[in-house]
Amino acid sequence: MKRRWLIVALGAAVLITFEAQPAYAMHIMEGFLPPLWALFWFVVTIPFWLIGLRQIQRIVREKPEVRLLLGFAAAFTFVLSALKLPSVTGSSSHPTGTGLGAILFGPWVMSVLGSIVLLFQALLIAHGGLTTLGANAFSMAVAGPFVAWLIWRGLAGRAPFWLVVFLAAALADLSTYVITSLQLALAYPDPVGGFGASFAKFGAIFAVTQIPLAISEGILTVLIMNALQTSAAAELEALEIKGVRA
Amino acid sequence: MLRVIDRYAFANRLRAVDPAQKAGLAVLVILLCLTLDRPLVGWLALGWMLAVAIWYARIPWRVVIAVLGAESTFLALSVIGVAMSVSFDQPVAARWMTSLGPLWLSVSNESLQTALRLLSRALGSAAALNVLILTTPLVDLIELLRRLRAPALLIEVMTLSYRAIFVLLDTLEQMVTAQTARLGYASWRATLRSSALLGSRLFVVAYQRSQALETALHARGFTGEVRVLPLCYRIDRWLWPIGAVVVASLVVAGWWP
Repeated sequence: MKRRWLIVALGAAVLITFEAQPAYAMHIMEGFLPPLWALFWFVVTIPFWLIGLRQIQRIVREKPEVRLLLGFAAAFTFVLSALKLPSVTGSSSHPTGTGLGAILFGPWVMSVLGSIVLLFQALLIAHGGLTTLGANAFSMAVAGPFVAWLIWRGLAGRAPFWLVVFLAAALADLSTYVITSLQLALAYPDPVGGFGASFAKFGAIFAVTQIPLAISEGILTVLIMNALQTSAAAELEALEIKGVRA
Repeated sequence: MLRVIDRYAFANRLRAVDPAQKAGLAVLVILLCLTLDRPLVGWLALGWMLAVAIWYARIPWRVVIAVLGAESTFLALSVIGVAMSVSFDQPVAARWMTSLGPLWLSVSNESLQTALRLLSRALGSAAALNVLILTTPLVDLIELLRRLRAPALLIEVMTLSYRAIFVLLDTLEQMVTAQTARLGYASWRATLRSSALLGSRLFVVAYQRSQALETALHARGFTGEVRVLPLCYRIDRWLWPIGAVVVASLVVAGWWP
């Protein structure tokens, strides 16, 4: 308990210094990527969609009713990302939910569900875009969930539960942020310093909103997982989520 | 924002128009903005698309502008990022520069042009996408995806989650009201605790709702597929000529010397 509040206090200190903007995680806007790069990120992401979809199809063939659960899982991720995460000075930011989603549903399923959520965000709240969906899906629905999943499976049992969950969620956010900066830097290298300078530049600009977000989402995910363990053990068990002490 | 866009998507003059027609126009404008890639094309597309949304689809201009501004934070930050160059050596041929410790921040004519081109292109294509999402409910877009032979499973999951989003959002709002009434958001620490409770309870609600839906469907002879009847659409006669004029003007603007 004591250590958890230490984390909260630490997060608060960082949030005060940076002051998060009320912003959605880094969705590259429609029309922002040149055609070739937009196409490239679709090509990179499509294999993940195919494998994820095939895995979902296999599960659904065994248990047809799982599709209802999947529908609600996508909706849950969408609604979670509409939550305003608190910051100290009254400003706020939105969590991505990818870390929690990867822990609950696994990274392959999450690559499909996360992409549906991104498509819905483009079509329902005008965040993101259609031509940039490939790039956004790679950073948010592929890279984030896989990082979270690797940490979750790799560290489970070797470190305290709260630390594993915190690292999984926070590093998922950070990897999304790093990949998006990379995507922008590749598309728009600096005329003076080239790709490296451009990467540093975009990284520095978006650090203002993304680093506080990663920390507060990490804390939030720890609290959610704790609450789930105490009050939703039956549901977690029904989903066969591994690594959770029910 | 979610409810605003959804409301106008269901209540505009182009609601009953075939989604393929509206999506065709929007996608064509986006592709032209991307491939022609000139500031003039971007600004022209922005103008046309705002005009179509406000005068043809009869969506209040405040709503159109607000939706376009949804991503202003990202746009502003990244356009500044493209315009600025960072280097350790003093840049030559810069329009404006300043030193920040060992770092030099500079803006050159070239980078400024790229940034302006990017700004117009992003605004033009975002406006085109906004015309589509403000005139077409998500159910119609999902129907369009079905016609384009997207996997049936994907279509089903999307249809279900579109409904589930509003169910969960209503639940979320009730819970937030209840928490606020009990001073759940009175301090930073309370806010964090309330958010966590909200997230975990929402997960349980989502799970239980899906179970309840399963029971209900089984009671009605559920065999593993959710089938929905397609809606009837009309073809808008005037949207073709409007689209032709828009596309022609964009192409001319793109090739103009």
